[in-house]
Amino acid sequence: MPARLELRHLGKTFGHTRVLSDVHLSVEPGEIHALVGQNGSGKSTVIKVIAGYHAPDRGAELLVDGEPVHLPVRPGSLAASGISIVHQNPGLVEHLSVAENISIGQEKRSRWTRKLNRRREAIAAGEILSRLHVSLDPSTLVKDLVPEERANVAIARALCSQIPGRGVIILDEATRALSRDSAAAFYKTLRHAVSEGGSVLVVAHSLSEVMAIADRVTVIRDGEIVGDGLPAGDLSEQAIARLMLGRTVEQIVSVKQLPAEVPHIAVRGLDTGHDRCLDFDIRRNEIVGLTGSAGAGWEQVPYLLAGDARARAGVIDVGGVTIDLARASLRHLLKAGVVLVPERRELQGLAVGLSVTENVSLPRMRRNSRPWFSGLRWQRDEATRIIATLGVQPPDPDLPVGKLSGGNQQKVLLGKWLLGGPELLILHEPTQGVDVAARQDLLNAVVSAARSGTSVLLVSNDVNDLSAVCRRVLVVHDGAITEELIGPTPDHIVDAVYEGRPTVGSSA
Amino acid sequence: MTSNGQDLDTAATSVRESPPVNVLDAVESDRAATPAESVSASLRPINRTTRLPALVENAIQRFAVVGIWVVMMLVYIAIEPDKILQVATFQSIFGSQEPLVFLALAMLCTFVVGEFDLSVASVMGLTATIVPVLVTQHGLNVALASAVAVAIGVGCGLVNAFVVVVVGVDGFIVTLGSSTLLLGAALWVSKSTTVSGLSVSFGKISLTNFLGLPLTFYYGIAIALVFAYVAWFTPLGRHMTFVGASREVARLAGVRVDRIRFLAYVASALIASLGGVLLTAGLGGFDASSSPGYLLPALSAVFLGTAVIQPGRFNALGSMIGVYFLASGILGLQLMGLGGWIENVFYGAALIIAVSVSSLVRRRRGRS
Repeated sequence: MPARLELRHLGKTFGHTRVLSDVHLSVEPGEIHALVGQNGSGKSTVIKVIAGYHAPDRGAELLVDGEPVHLPVRPGSLAASGISIVHQNPGLVEHLSVAENISIGQEKRSRWTRKLNRRREAIAAGEILSRLHVSLDPSTLVKDLVPEERANVAIARALCSQIPGRGVIILDEATRALSRDSAAAFYKTLRHAVSEGGSVLVVAHSLSEVMAIADRVTVIRDGEIVGDGLPAGDLSEQAIARLMLGRTVEQIVSVKQLPAEVPHIAVRGLDTGHDRCLDFDIRRNEIVGLTGSAGAGWEQVPYLLAGDARARAGVIDVGGVTIDLARASLRHLLKAGVVLVPERRELQGLAVGLSVTENVSLPRMRRNSRPWFSGLRWQRDEATRIIATLGVQPPDPDLPVGKLSGGNQQKVLLGKWLLGGPELLILHEPTQGVDVAARQDLLNAVVSAARSGTSVLLVSNDVNDLSAVCRRVLVVHDGAITEELIGPTPDHIVDAVYEGRPTVGSSA
Repeated sequence: MTSNGQDLDTAATSVRESPPVNVLDAVESDRAATPAESVSASLRPINRTTRLPALVENAIQRFAVVGIWVVMMLVYIAIEPDKILQVATFQSIFGSQEPLVFLALAMLCTFVVGEFDLSVASVMGLTATIVPVLVTQHGLNVALASAVAVAIGVGCGLVNAFVVVVVGVDGFIVTLGSSTLLLGAALWVSKSTTVSGLSVSFGKISLTNFLGLPLTFYYGIAIALVFAYVAWFTPLGRHMTFVGASREVARLAGVRVDRIRFLAYVASALIASLGGVLLTAGLGGFDASSSPGYLLPALSAVFLGTAVIQPGRFNALGSMIGVYFLASGILGLQLMGLGGWIENVFYGAALIIAVSVSSLVRRRRGRS
């Protein structure tokens, strides 16, 4: 029996960068297949090729039930090939009913009048929902549904356009909105969806989810397949994590220089919306890593500490100045020297339409200027300084930031905050979507900053980054630090995150 | 807990306790220490000569509209040399656009910070109506009447700002509403008639001739230059630019985003009110029902301005060039015998073309 969906020799280059090379993916009938990889590994590019959003390089083949599909895929022909894609945001219409949402695109019409036949729509929707063993009234409005029910409606809609027992439903991070309990129920629904012979391809980055759901797993790293259709039953989460992250761990800087004994930054009782709270210290010259499994609360820490979002409770002590995180404003924290390099670079970090110079000098506009004249030379100096010290390419301070590559944008963003000489530098996923060379430059700059007196908090999923520059790595479970690793290897961190043994380490 | 934890703890070395004066010093010295990276190469100033073609391309981009303007005028001159090449024609182009220049700059205040103010024409109309009403029907002196009118105009801006920024309603909708509301108010105040009777001496603040053009022309230039200076050379201008380009980025850099948005609406109303006073002074009175006609030409000029001087950005000098470009285009066509309808066709088409071009330029700038 041919594979339901098979990709062969898929390559994709954007300009001079190769983002996919010789990717192979095969989804068998009746299975739930997971495609996993880190952010920027190329998994979403694979889906975009299947969806017809990107044209693949020459030589790629896509087969559905053994039949070759013409590439590039025409987006309109997807449904005819039996492929339906459910995106992270499932695109349901809020004020329409479940039945109407399910039948969008294939409305049931009366034979003669071509009038929409709501009764038949409702019956068809009810049938599909019962096939999925989902109890939902088709006349309910979507706006009244909880996330889990919405996800079910999206699945039903995808299933509706398919011949029973055929086709592939691709879930592109579609379970992100679901809580852990509702996700479990949702997986049952998926089981029912494949029980008739159809297939599901899940694109995910949460490994516990993948383990709970998938029959087989394909792992992609840096645009190449490093695990091709591995049976999920034989694998542990750590094993997949290692495949995803790779073994190419270069020790960027040996963290020999020990920080001063005095804590410079102290965070106490930080509430991330979990049962427990976070407490930790960072010394002067120290880089502390913060990580954990998805949804454990550590991802909000950068934004709570920087005052981007108000914490429910918690205080931060910056070099002797105590600030209440439940009340302080962002400006207050900035003034105390707490700066944030956010994860969403193009939304929160940099104004992509404005030049490198303008972006770099923004935080010091008031301080370095007279109200009636901002002065051009210091701005130019700052920009050329960043370009030179961090190696921004091309070295043109007047270029709009949007014209730079991701790695170079990240350099500009880091430089923008380093120039102010911060007390606490908070980095959230600073090397995401950044090439290897730029990553080196970025981490080197972070280490140098720490050496000159800044305390650094590196909040990241990337165990290679954490291991390369952090003396201590704090692992968070359910909103509290459960382990403190001293000078860990990437493996140590992976073990601590995915095993989650609640052995509380000695707190500094 | 881990194998090398001990090593690290025993390898204590001296700690630099110096305050983080300049973090990048350390980055620099670190890079210098690595022989592979030649810092001196990257420190070298950027070679200007290699960028010459880029400069030329840049200049073409910046001044394409001016070029089109010149070509357009040459064509007009070739067709109708007798009518175009007259002092009166040039006076008509440059001397009568004061309300549009003021309105364009008023709108620009909000556009630059990513907001939208459609009520400027009505604010201008209201102040232009209130001054003659107060002077002729209530006997106030012109200075006091002007002050009252400007205060009322600024008050309208405060209300707009409050609803948009504090209450949090979309600026487009709010100002569309207040635009109609204020037009109605102006009609009510003037009892739907043209209010005239302002003294000729008051008109002198607008009409006094200097080097062949009325003073209002120079007021427009002055206020545009001030605007351009603020936008380019002051911290406030930079903050405004960032609020317009990315509110989130500005906020995270400590910019008081809402304060700037609020003040933008107030400044917008202030400029429109001043424009209204000068307009009514120059005309000797005002017909309240004529104010909506000023909105679209000013809007066209502002969007056309995004193709000039600073391509892809709202800018004051570009907007002013836009105003005169459109005015001369229309006057030329009218002198060639086309009727009054050409004004609407020209302004409308210019708005669509200008917005299309500016969104294309922005798309090119934003992403590589």
